[in-house]
Amino acid sequence: MKRELALTVNGRLAKLQVEDADTLLEVLRDQLNLWSVREGCGVGACGTCTVLMDGKPVSSCLVLARRAEGREIVTVEGLAASGKLDVIQETFIEERALQCGYCTPGFILSVKALLDENSTPTDDEVREYLSGNLCRCAGYGDIVRAVRVAQEKRRAGAT
Amino acid sequence: MTIPVFELLRPKTLAEASELLLKHGDDARLIAGGTTLVILMKQRTVYYPYLIDLQGISGLDHITADGEGLRIGAMATQRAVETSLLVRRSFPALADAFGKIGNVRVRTTATVGGNLAHADYRLDPPPVLLILGADLVLSSPKQTRTVPIKDFYRGLYETALEPGEILAEVRVPPAPEGSRTLYLKYSSLSANDWPCLGVAALLKGNAKRCDELRLGVGGLAEKPLLIEGLELARNETITDSLLDEIARLVDEQISPISDLRGSEWYKREMARVFVKRAICALAEEDPHL
Ligand SMILES: Cc1cc2nc3c(=O)[nH]c(=O)nc-3n(C[C@H](O)[C@H](O)[C@H](O)COP(=O)(O)OP(=O)(O)OC[C@H]3O[C@@H](n4cnc5c(N)ncnc54)[C@H](O)[C@@H]3O)c2cc1C
Repeated sequence: MKRELALTVNGRLAKLQVEDADTLLEVLRDQLNLWSVREGCGVGACGTCTVLMDGKPVSSCLVLARRAEGREIVTVEGLAASGKLDVIQETFIEERALQCGYCTPGFILSVKALLDENSTPTDDEVREYLSGNLCRCAGYGDIVRAVRVAQEKRRAGAT
Repeated sequence: MTIPVFELLRPKTLAEASELLLKHGDDARLIAGGTTLVILMKQRTVYYPYLIDLQGISGLDHITADGEGLRIGAMATQRAVETSLLVRRSFPALADAFGKIGNVRVRTTATVGGNLAHADYRLDPPPVLLILGADLVLSSPKQTRTVPIKDFYRGLYETALEPGEILAEVRVPPAPEGSRTLYLKYSSLSANDWPCLGVAALLKGNAKRCDELRLGVGGLAEKPLLIEGLELARNETITDSLLDEIARLVDEQISPISDLRGSEWYKREMARVFVKRAICALAEEDPHL
């Protein structure tokens, strides 16, 4: 049976009809057309369905949509809502920290959560925090470098 | 992957949640962080027509400390325990064990109670809670009772929880004065995978004289184990032969399940290595030596 759900996504309140069994991933993709959120493993291990919930990274494939009511959900589309890319997105492009791009939205949101939590992480802390985001093109070296550059730009005031 | 249709019930109190559990019996299951349950439902490993949501019940996610030790509410997230200064200062090995679970997204969503109640044989936190002598508070409309964690685990995915009972809180008494603890997680597949095995150790004393030694292990039997008979190390110097004797004692008590993270033979070999490594690390760490 579908029930009404009011979900705050990228700063906007959306009124939806969802089943109790719908995951946040399904609702974001199928009802809100936010296709940056992707299903990879479906069991919380790969990170391609990462979204921010009240600023913290979660696997949207493991969250029941109804339990996300009242929380602030951010997908990568929300980072550039004004039309200007976030400094983390810009730096990923400049540093060529992506190849096929499938994992990139998940990485960018994880990096945002990390830098919001800890503005000066060491490379080891970056690797540990991102260890649950998998990149099958194996661009990890470039990704860690991009995080270091983004971190410096943010400290210099870029957003 | 989709989840088969079910109904999400959202009680406001623990008593209401217990009553729903009793009413629906085997047709219902509690949902805490949901990380394990959602996966098992997607994979059709389990199916429950009703899930009873603990998220709407207030007062279950505290982390506090007083003279009697630490209290952690069942709905505290694993990430909250990992990053709590209170936990890290008084029980660093406990913060470590929670911090080594899966990845940061799992730890942000999954809870302490969901971890302990799932009773998987490979969980990271139980070995540490075993050596710290933690108690689990189980709540039901009939009574609230306290069960030592070593009596909570009955077998593979089996716990002491009775029908209608809910794990409400974990209580950790102060560690023995002057003792140090350590948790070593060994993952044989990848850095953030489930453990092949985990070893928790508590040592009071130093390499010259061991006043007290406790060991807890995970992944080495169908449930987490507190190793018995370690009085043999009391007042002893930590020598290679004592370490061999302790490793033998551990080997006698474990019964590893062969799985994709290692065969029984391999886990026995690694248990020996990691038990010795944990004890030596604690013995050498003594600031008074
Ligand atoms: C990708 C991934 C990697 C993981 N890696 C590790 C790891 O390395 N080490 C490790 O230890 N764990 C690991 N886990 C397991 C993780 O810790 C569990 O998902 C978690 O323990 C379940 O917590 P939850 O709050 O999501 O519980 P849920 O999925 O909501 O519930 C789990 C079970 O516990 C029951 N339950 C929940 N709360 C209570 C309660 N208060 N009282 C009684 N019963 C209750 C539920 O009915 C259900 O049967 C991993 C999980 C994932 C998805």
